[in-house]
Amino acid sequence: MSSPYFDELKVSLLIPRSRTSTEANRTGEWSFSRPAYRDKTAPCRAACPCATDIPRVETLVAEGRLDEALAAILEENPLPAVCGRVCFHPCESRCNRSELDEAVSVNALERFVSDREAVRCDREEVRCDRGIARAEGPASLGDGAAAKGSVAIVGSGPAGLAAAYFMNALGYACEILEAESEAGGLLRYGIPAYRLPPAALRRDLARIEAAGARFRFRERIGERDLARLRSRFSAVIIASGHAKARSLGVPGEELAEDALGFLRRTRLGGSEPGHSSARTGARGKVAVIGGGNTAIDAARSLVRLGCEATIVYRRRRADMPAFPEEVEAAIDEGVELVETAVPIRLERSPAGISLSVQATRPEGAGLDGRPSFVPVHGEVRVLEVAAALCAVGAEAAEPWMKPRESALSLRRCAIELDGPAAPLAFVGDLRGPRETVADAVASGKEAAIALDALFRSGRDSIAGETERCRVGDGEGLSMAAYMGGPKAAPSRRVVAFRDLNTDYFRLSPRKVGPVIPADRARDAFAEARDGLAREDAIAQASRCLSCGRCNDCDNCRTFCPELAVRATPEREREIDEYHCKGCGLCAAECPRSAIEMEVQAP
Amino acid sequence: MMKVLEGSQAVAEAVRLARVAVVSAYPITPQTHIVEELARYCAEGSMDGRFICVESEHSAMASVIGSEAGGARSFTASSSHGLALMHEMLHWASGARLPIVMAEVNRALGPGWNLWLDQTDSLAQRDTGWIQLYCQDGQEALDSTLIAYRLAEAVNLPVMVVLDAFFLSHTYESVDLPSQEEVDRFLPRFAPKFRLDTAEPYALCEVAPPGAYMEMRRSIQLAMEAAPGALLAAEEEFRSIFARGYGLVDAYRCEDAEIVLAMAGTTASTCRLAVDELRERGEKVGLLRFRLFRPFPADAIRAALGGARKVAVLDRNCSFGAGGIFAQELRAALYGRERRALHGAVGQPQVFGYIAGLGGRDVTPALLCEMYRLTRDSDSPPAEGAWLGLDEEMLR
Repeated sequence: MSSPYFDELKVSLLIPRSRTSTEANRTGEWSFSRPAYRDKTAPCRAACPCATDIPRVETLVAEGRLDEALAAILEENPLPAVCGRVCFHPCESRCNRSELDEAVSVNALERFVSDREAVRCDREEVRCDRGIARAEGPASLGDGAAAKGSVAIVGSGPAGLAAAYFMNALGYACEILEAESEAGGLLRYGIPAYRLPPAALRRDLARIEAAGARFRFRERIGERDLARLRSRFSAVIIASGHAKARSLGVPGEELAEDALGFLRRTRLGGSEPGHSSARTGARGKVAVIGGGNTAIDAARSLVRLGCEATIVYRRRRADMPAFPEEVEAAIDEGVELVETAVPIRLERSPAGISLSVQATRPEGAGLDGRPSFVPVHGEVRVLEVAAALCAVGAEAAEPWMKPRESALSLRRCAIELDGPAAPLAFVGDLRGPRETVADAVASGKEAAIALDALFRSGRDSIAGETERCRVGDGEGLSMAAYMGGPKAAPSRRVVAFRDLNTDYFRLSPRKVGPVIPADRARDAFAEARDGLAREDAIAQASRCLSCGRCNDCDNCRTFCPELAVRATPEREREIDEYHCKGCGLCAAECPRSAIEMEVQAP
Repeated sequence: MMKVLEGSQAVAEAVRLARVAVVSAYPITPQTHIVEELARYCAEGSMDGRFICVESEHSAMASVIGSEAGGARSFTASSSHGLALMHEMLHWASGARLPIVMAEVNRALGPGWNLWLDQTDSLAQRDTGWIQLYCQDGQEALDSTLIAYRLAEAVNLPVMVVLDAFFLSHTYESVDLPSQEEVDRFLPRFAPKFRLDTAEPYALCEVAPPGAYMEMRRSIQLAMEAAPGALLAAEEEFRSIFARGYGLVDAYRCEDAEIVLAMAGTTASTCRLAVDELRERGEKVGLLRFRLFRPFPADAIRAALGGARKVAVLDRNCSFGAGGIFAQELRAALYGRERRALHGAVGQPQVFGYIAGLGGRDVTPALLCEMYRLTRDSDSPPAEGAWLGLDEEMLR
């Protein structure tokens, strides 16, 4: 209600108001510094051996642009379906978000992005096992059309696949020579199906083949074949991995089966859904000697075959080189762990094998910084087992698979450049400081970049070219940076948590695909972890803080007191230098440290 | 609907009923309960408003200046040091003629650090161009907050609704809580006379050179002069719906009083007891409660004092070197005015200033009777006022 009093009330209201544009007020003349959009390196990307541009991938997933997200991964890594499952994800260990709440589920998101493509692949019934692929490849990474040369790659494990994929992208015709009848190497024969289902591997292989790589199976290359290959091809890359198991070096060592051989038999005979497990011959209580991922893979496979598995490791659980989550999963599934125990003898017994182990204790520091473990004399116990598996490491199958002293040694590959013969590169486990799939991919990529630099600009250019595309403070090389694409080479400065303006981040819980307990799986070797649903994946990708990378949040434009930040139709931002007074609010309010204030010369 | 509410809750309920769209505040005892309650309303969705968290009172006022200029009915609350920090922005609010309403809980300023009742914080803001209304109880705090919006939006000046620390802010009383429908009838939706609009851009609070500034100041003064009339008109509307009102001043048994005791806030309700007691003893005494302090309603006060010979003002504040602020204001309002007093005396009543109850010290009926006795038995008032209830030992 309003009384006539108020209707008629006239109160003086003279206020300072102006309709004159303030544009004429060139506040930019006050400025002695100016903001500049300078993308930096996110710590996850610096930690990734493949140098995947993770913030860009997660931004695209968060926006639902999943095809582009996959393409962004494929710029740096041809094995997203594999790595989305088996990678040890150092990216997550270095994720800045973990200082806010919990790390972004980068690994699960990589799997989500690749699985989504896989659905389409499967519908088209792509079967690449025999080299028949009809899948559409990713957008060509290079000028590809005319082959710049041809490369022979020995071995189709992750390093060989990556070398082929990237050489291909750089315009070389590639031929992969594989001793087995199917591609994948360790991925196919060494990693159990519950961690890496064959269908996932098939999808990555199909894409690599569709992009141009040619596979030739049952081609076992020996030392005598090298000269022939080096005369026929522009380059030869040896990616044959560590195929020979190390032995225990104790009496009765021949009684223990090589764990890689066991995994191979399991994969061939027992792990495909519907196959019988009888061919693996495993039953009863089985000891697995070793503490690496192969030991865990063997033990968890034994559980799935109905055996009792006991891991015998000479150091403590915390010292195991196996991924901690894998160790945890094994123990959850009932694997027994005997720590600080070293085998000293294996003997036949009526039940199978008597395995004598001696207790150890830590003493001093070894060469790698970890404590050495020395035997405790007198403390010997005997484990009665049906069988024993040996998983104490592997090495190159033949002596010639090691590069010579004279080879050019890079961080992850070595290249022999002697005389007129084609260069001979060694990649993957043969050269890697760490034997993981991601490191193998990184090694293959480094070899591809080094060889291309060699062919284009000569030996002396290799160091500079590889260094140019190194990402952040890490060891990974970016193929996109090498090829010089958009946003290819961000500053190498790695964004720390303290560089972020966390006022704009809400806490939100991390989610990864749920674990399916072995006893509830539809099949013993069915994948042990589910993927993320689409809505979960988008929510999880939205958790990415996009450290150091502008993701169009528009805070800079919102906060600029002079309206000097303008958005262009291409979603880029530009600074109106006539009005930017250099106050630095935009840089201070940028949540992700993507803006630098640059002092101007007087 | 009658409800038992804390004084702070009564204010918060009024803000919700006024359909305030933006609240921005920084917590400070004893004001915190008000904004805590409002934050809860906003969070649970029982109030269709946005609560803007800020890092200081200066920013709280800056935020509501922005929201009010954008055409959103806005509210803030503060107290003591918080209000002192807000001081600069109080000028910006009134100078921009923005009808913001603020609850101000009277609390002492430190040091010594003190959380309790003292009027110096709000009285020190008397020259900022804000209208000030002092409340006596929870009902008046609720009603004044609603009336404040009607008044502020009529004259385009901000209004401070002032509550005593703890005696009002933290005391539970039965309060008649109006319905939303009733409040909507009293208080129309906010129809700003001007607001920032991106469709028709202009700059507010621009430079005003010597050739324009003085006229703008005069415009504020004219609006202040219109405020008492607008307050009475708003109260008339309020009374027609709610059957209660307060007026510019609150006079009790003053009609035939020779001596009037004058004060603001909850102390006045204590004084009612003292007046009744003194009346029973045959003393001709009345009570005048200051409600509207800015603008100072001189005419209404003069009328209410009638023919009294003496006025004893109780100030729970001190302007050091000049005495109690209400006493000063009253003296200035009375000086040089003609009148015909009772018993043939000519001239205005003598103003006796007393300072008591600082920093939360109790003001009891006995103390008020003592104040009356001192006034009755003195021929002339002390120059800068007398301090009541001091422990002289501590000062020795």
